[in-house]
Amino acid sequence: MDIALRAITLYVFVLLVSRVIGRRELSSLSPFDLILLIVLGDAIQQGLTQDDYSVTGALIAVSTIASLQVFTSYLSFRSQRARKVLEGLPIVVIEDGKVIEQNLQRERMTADEISEEMRTQQIASFSEVQWGILETNGSMSFVKKQSS
Amino acid sequence: MRRGLFALLPLLTVFALVNLFGQRPASATASSPTAALKVYAPDRVRGGLLFEARFHIRARQNLEKATLVLHPGWLEGMTVNTIEPAPASETSSNGRLSLELGHLAAGDSFLLFIQFQVNPTNLGHRKQTVELFDGRKKLLHLDRSITIFP
Repeated sequence: MDIALRAITLYVFVLLVSRVIGRRELSSLSPFDLILLIVLGDAIQQGLTQDDYSVTGALIAVSTIASLQVFTSYLSFRSQRARKVLEGLPIVVIEDGKVIEQNLQRERMTADEISEEMRTQQIASFSEVQWGILETNGSMSFVKKQSS
Repeated sequence: MRRGLFALLPLLTVFALVNLFGQRPASATASSPTAALKVYAPDRVRGGLLFEARFHIRARQNLEKATLVLHPGWLEGMTVNTIEPAPASETSSNGRLSLELGHLAAGDSFLLFIQFQVNPTNLGHRKQTVELFDGRKKLLHLDRSITIFP
């Protein structure tokens, strides 16, 4: 019983943490972030299974987390309100070549980081961009201006 | 087919929540005009788990030499971390663990805690009978068992 409750608690907590941390932190993993992620995983594992070395315990933990994952994705699929809470909404960071500072600050991003993303997508300057969007998975997508 | 298989996943969680795989403690009691015994310990556990067994003895009459006798199933494949309070003596009584608790006056209560850890290689179903003696005279017999999941 205890292991299922621990799995539910930790799942909800990790979901909350991932929403609080922000999408950029989760999508761009620096070496430090990667180490932090491993430490986080280890800390969660200790709280989840504790001294339980059993196969039964592992099955319960995995099936509980898998069930919760499917449940939340089903909830996101069925309800827009739930999707907003669980995944968030895309954030517009560039509109018609202009950087929206307020949205950048909200996600703790700088214009330099957007420029970097743009360069990886062969875009040289902000003026070429109609829409720059920070997607819910943390990646950036750009819609170029239509050339007249 | 896929949906059917998926239905098994939450089922496993539900079974775990209703204590099918342990380790919620359960009570078992036995009583006589001389004494009453209550054992509070899980009857389903898994490899590696730490758990406690609590033995509560209430003397209704004077017990000169209260002795608790545990079936080997209590110890088979288990690590005993501690027994508190330490019994006056420990011995084997026909292969069973005999713990001498000393004198208990009528109306006295005695709480004995034993802390266990399940060895990860331990598996199966075992008897965990508990008997209370006064010297060589058997006062109580309590039947219980434990299931150890892999």
